[in-house]
Amino acid sequence: MNKKIWAVVSREYFTRAKTKGYIIGTLMFPIIIVFLFGGIYIFGKAFQPSTQNFAVIDQTGRIYVQMVEMLPDTLKNGSLKFSFSEIKTIDENLEPTIEELKQKVLNKKLTGFLVIPENILESKEVKYSARNVSNFDDLEKIEWAISKSVSNIRLENLGYSPEVIRREMYAGYINLTSFQLTEKGEVSKSGVSNFLLTYLLTYLLMLFIMIYGQTITASVIEEKSQRITETIISSIKPVELMMGKLVGVCLLGITQLVVIGSFVYLLSAFGAPFLLKMGIETPKLLNIIGNLQFTPVVFMFFILYFFMGYLLYATLFAAVGSMVNTTDEGQQFLTPIIFLNIIGFFIMITVAQNPDTPAAFWASLFPFFTPSVMFARIAVSHPSLPSGAVLSIFTMGISIYLIIKLVAKIYRVGILMYGKKPSLKEALKWIRYK
Amino acid sequence: MAILEVKNISKSFASLKAVDDVSFSIEEGDVLGLLGPNGAGKTTTIRMIMNIIVPDSGSVTLLKNSEENSTNLIGYLPEERGIYRKMKLVDVLLFLAKLKEMKMHDAKEQIDYWLERLDLIKWKKKKIEELSKGMQQKLQFIATILHKPKLLILDEPFLGLDPINTNLIKEIILELKAGGTTIIFSTHQMESAEKLCNKIILINKGKVILSGKIGEVKESFGKRNIHLEYEGKEDFLNKNKMIKKFDNFGNYVEIQLEENVSPQDFLKEIISKIQIKKFEIKEPSLNDIFIESVHSQNQEDDHE
Repeated sequence: MNKKIWAVVSREYFTRAKTKGYIIGTLMFPIIIVFLFGGIYIFGKAFQPSTQNFAVIDQTGRIYVQMVEMLPDTLKNGSLKFSFSEIKTIDENLEPTIEELKQKVLNKKLTGFLVIPENILESKEVKYSARNVSNFDDLEKIEWAISKSVSNIRLENLGYSPEVIRREMYAGYINLTSFQLTEKGEVSKSGVSNFLLTYLLTYLLMLFIMIYGQTITASVIEEKSQRITETIISSIKPVELMMGKLVGVCLLGITQLVVIGSFVYLLSAFGAPFLLKMGIETPKLLNIIGNLQFTPVVFMFFILYFFMGYLLYATLFAAVGSMVNTTDEGQQFLTPIIFLNIIGFFIMITVAQNPDTPAAFWASLFPFFTPSVMFARIAVSHPSLPSGAVLSIFTMGISIYLIIKLVAKIYRVGILMYGKKPSLKEALKWIRYK
Repeated sequence: MAILEVKNISKSFASLKAVDDVSFSIEEGDVLGLLGPNGAGKTTTIRMIMNIIVPDSGSVTLLKNSEENSTNLIGYLPEERGIYRKMKLVDVLLFLAKLKEMKMHDAKEQIDYWLERLDLIKWKKKKIEELSKGMQQKLQFIATILHKPKLLILDEPFLGLDPINTNLIKEIILELKAGGTTIIFSTHQMESAEKLCNKIILINKGKVILSGKIGEVKESFGKRNIHLEYEGKEDFLNKNKMIKKFDNFGNYVEIQLEENVSPQDFLKEIISKIQIKKFEIKEPSLNDIFIESVHSQNQEDDHE
């Protein structure tokens, strides 16, 4: 590439990279991550879950033993998650006891207390009182343990021995483990996080292509509307100017993606283990990110498809910029291009679940869908490559070459055309100009 | 040898023939004034020279024998000239210098020199949008000459400049001319053209109506005017068969004689009638030539 193109590349890159908007945009994600971690760390320390103390008034005399047995959960530090104490009362009137327990809860000596009525088998109503009743996960567990105990007692009442009941109950528990099939064999992995990664990354990819594509349109319009074009093209060929712009803005996008990608990588590789080491329970979200298959290979394809997808779309965006005088005028031409991108995104959502159908294959080879659809197929099929992955790089390359050749001709005429915006038909006529 | 050769170029926009069969050439060291009224086709001609617009027919040969990339040898100040508003002055100049493949070191040196010379050095680190229109014009001019071009093409260089800055730019153009730079510029300001150019081309309605060295053009135009200051009655001006036409400006009168009348005869004729304070035979000014030529061509066209 010659010096003149580099001059344009560096102008496009540095004038934009120095703006507040870009710096904030680039660092926002890492900053959010840092805050998130800091927050988890600080709150994790402060709100380290401790043993929850429950008092239980079991009027049946049979439930308490069973439910306690069913909740042996422990915390990270080894102590019990739930600690129960049974309150026995001979008094028919429970009121004084309950009043006493209420005071204990308010004084934070107790997390809460449960009243299991004598007629639980029929009424199925258990009363739980506490200061905080929104810890659904814990309450669900307790609810489950009591339900289980009630079922057991009902079965006992039908004449089954406790041993049989216990044996049969535990025999019925199943475990769901998901496996991913690849040519290299089975890989166990959390299915959810892989789809999440694919959607997230593909969304990011398409978003960036659109954002930086529109930056190109704005950049071309600026030169046109400020009447800068003529000064510039007395020194550089229009096609070189266009290429310089495309590359300069592309580098902005890649810089941003590399920064964000590196943080996602660090997060997935070291985030959860780090917190675990600090003795802090990992939040679910982080567990999912920790399970992401965000390997350097996926990252490489991510950048590659951004680069190619961007070139393909941004070249069209450049054509639009050269044809119009204001951003408003451009909207009419931009809409179909953006639509094309969105269609690709929707196809991607289906394809991510069935990446190996012929339809998925062909859709991923259509150049305008390749960045989203093929990337999704690669991410989902990782670590093996889906069919057509290498071919798609060639088809994209050829498409980009042809589009640039075509658009260069429109661009050359368009950037010097002031006044009324042309129709698409007129713009296509420019291609045939000398 | 010709630095630029324009051969029979024509260009039409829709039904309008903007440039019609224009030919001219300039030699190294020439300063060519491209003159003409608004809409004459000056800018279109310049754009064809710069290969911004492709002529419908005809050809332009520019710096044929140079080995270097010819765009680097040309400085072009377009009529439509804007600049990146959000960039700092020095960054814009460095960018434009890089586009001409100047060496970084030379570029910085030249930028400082010219910013100092045109009184913009204080604004070096300011954004363009903070500059006044006139300052932006000067900046544009610096950008055009920064890389020491062999050929300078200036489209209306004095547009929007006050007299002081106009003189400053003229001074620099004369300096460049003395240094051997070949210059083409278009203007309405006949006075500037007269001072700066050695050659002119007068275009009207897309056609060349006059061209050549200034002296030759004036000679071929032929008409000599008499500048007369006097005391006495102005009756002698009226119904005088020797006078083709006159303009009375109060303090003095400009007189054009009939073709076959010599100034000597005219002087003899009037010397008895008035008291003469000043009698001067003047060459026609470029302004006169411009107005007369354009006027007569327009009349011809009207008759057609």
